[in-house]
Amino acid sequence: MINSVSAKVKVDPKDAKVSMAHFYVAFIALALGGLMGLLQVLVRSGKFELPLGIGYYEILTTHGVLMGLILTTFFIMGFQYAAVSKTAGTHSNAARRAGWIGFWLMTIGTLMAAAMILTNKASVLYTFYAPLQAHWIFYLGLTLVVVGSWVDGAAQIMTYAKWRKNNPGKPSPLLTFMAVINTVMWIVATLGVASTVLFQLLPWSLGLVDRVDVLVSRTLFWYFGHPLVYFWLLPAYMAWYVVIPKVIGGKIFSDSLARLTFILFLLFSVPVGFHHQLMEPGIDPAWKFIQVILTFMVVIPSLMTAFSLFATFERYGRSKGAKGLFGWFKVLPWNDARFTVPFIGMVAFIPAGAGGIVNASNQMDQVVHNTIWVTGHFHLTVATAVLLTFLGVSYWLVPHLTGRKLTKSMNKLAIIQGWVWFIGMTFMSVAMHLEGLLGGPRRSSFSTYGNSQQALDWIPYQIAQAVGGSILFIGIILFLIIFINLAFFAPKGEEEFPVGEAENLEEKAPLVFENWKLWLGITAVLILFAYTVPFIDIIQNAPIGSKGFKTW
Amino acid sequence: MAKAELKTEQKTEIEDSSSLKGTLASVFFLGLFIVITWVSVYMLFVERF
Repeated sequence: MINSVSAKVKVDPKDAKVSMAHFYVAFIALALGGLMGLLQVLVRSGKFELPLGIGYYEILTTHGVLMGLILTTFFIMGFQYAAVSKTAGTHSNAARRAGWIGFWLMTIGTLMAAAMILTNKASVLYTFYAPLQAHWIFYLGLTLVVVGSWVDGAAQIMTYAKWRKNNPGKPSPLLTFMAVINTVMWIVATLGVASTVLFQLLPWSLGLVDRVDVLVSRTLFWYFGHPLVYFWLLPAYMAWYVVIPKVIGGKIFSDSLARLTFILFLLFSVPVGFHHQLMEPGIDPAWKFIQVILTFMVVIPSLMTAFSLFATFERYGRSKGAKGLFGWFKVLPWNDARFTVPFIGMVAFIPAGAGGIVNASNQMDQVVHNTIWVTGHFHLTVATAVLLTFLGVSYWLVPHLTGRKLTKSMNKLAIIQGWVWFIGMTFMSVAMHLEGLLGGPRRSSFSTYGNSQQALDWIPYQIAQAVGGSILFIGIILFLIIFINLAFFAPKGEEEFPVGEAENLEEKAPLVFENWKLWLGITAVLILFAYTVPFIDIIQNAPIGSKGFKTW
Repeated sequence: MAKAELKTEQKTEIEDSSSLKGTLASVFFLGLFIVITWVSVYMLFVERF
């Protein structure tokens, strides 16, 4: 591995500013989105009503958009921008300008979308399914967020290209390679959502056309919507593969395995959207089946990751003299928030992944589809595995960028924050999974459905969710205290940006991994294979489009 | 990657530091957990539909 050769000790202060700007927006979104989440679980407990005529679906939309789209995209772009600067060298002025332009486009877009949601003109939930029709400014705002993220991604790709030019015949630094894979996957995926917004939803919400083809727009959304979850996950994998080994004092199990994992995600993340539409009429079941098979292909890189991480931990533990089958588990650095907080996230990914395999299986989707099981599922994936990793990264990255130190007391508070999150999420997510198996719906305000027994049986689970959600909100407050400390008040000093080295330094990653023509070619072939025929089918057999609905 | 392992005829108390037995056991547990989750919900499906 040649990471160390080109790696700078510190991220350049000018690059640090770009990343920090992203983090401010990300964590303002976390604060507001978290408050909305708290209100939601309280409403659904049946014990609390929203004041001032605020609608449940308005706060649900705010929560989903801020947490799922804004917090994640801003954090990921800020993190990847810093990771590329650290491992491939300081960004050029042009790349930094791209970083700032991307940031401002995304921020303006966020403000536009937020203004429409908060004035109750866009209570369409974060999936903005047609025929629910939001104000056109909402769609335009989201478009700017996506376009801004492309410009942000271009900055990373420019610096990657510069590194490749200066280092011919060498594999790029692992973190940079991973960031670029995620950016490329994001660009491929967002073409779907950009198409539905630009060609369908914007003209329709502006009144230029009367009707919208619902199935086309939902298919384009899920072409984007599933890779979206991998866009959230891959930066967490970057931390798990590269940062965590260094934090614990161990080694990356295999540099090439990590790269292969990311390439498999690039190939198999996109042509799988139909598994979100298994219950949807109008799509040929044979094509649903094919996309389910492709979905299961994505299990492979995740299991490779699990193996690789266990191996890193075990090797480290044994090097410290740990004995027995699981002795290595005890010697891991449990007093280091940079390890413990993401580790809780890794553990959450086990039930999260198992639940995901259930969701993607056609028959079982009939049991859980549109139930709150699904909400419980993605609160384990994105809101625990991914989020706790992002918070764990913030605990060293924010002080690294601001030239401060994570103090002992803040480290302790961060560990408490991680465990508070774990406890809160256990209450909330387990209750959501169980209520879902009993048929409790997602995306629904509190109702006893005419006092039907089945709906009354859901209430205890909803109260458990309110308890869990309240604990989670405490977790958010704790995080915000730590973030503000690390950004503005912590003592000045040097905090390490941990970048791990591979166990076997002679093992050079095969250069074929950087053959973009090959990987993008296979990606395109898989997407065309999975989507062309069913898409023609959907368009040829389309019913008359739908007029817009505003249900709020 | 796996390093060449030193094998001796006598049983020694020292465990091989490159052993990945725990990793093997962990991924088996993981697989088992996935299978149990899947089969449980499948049983619910069979019962209900």
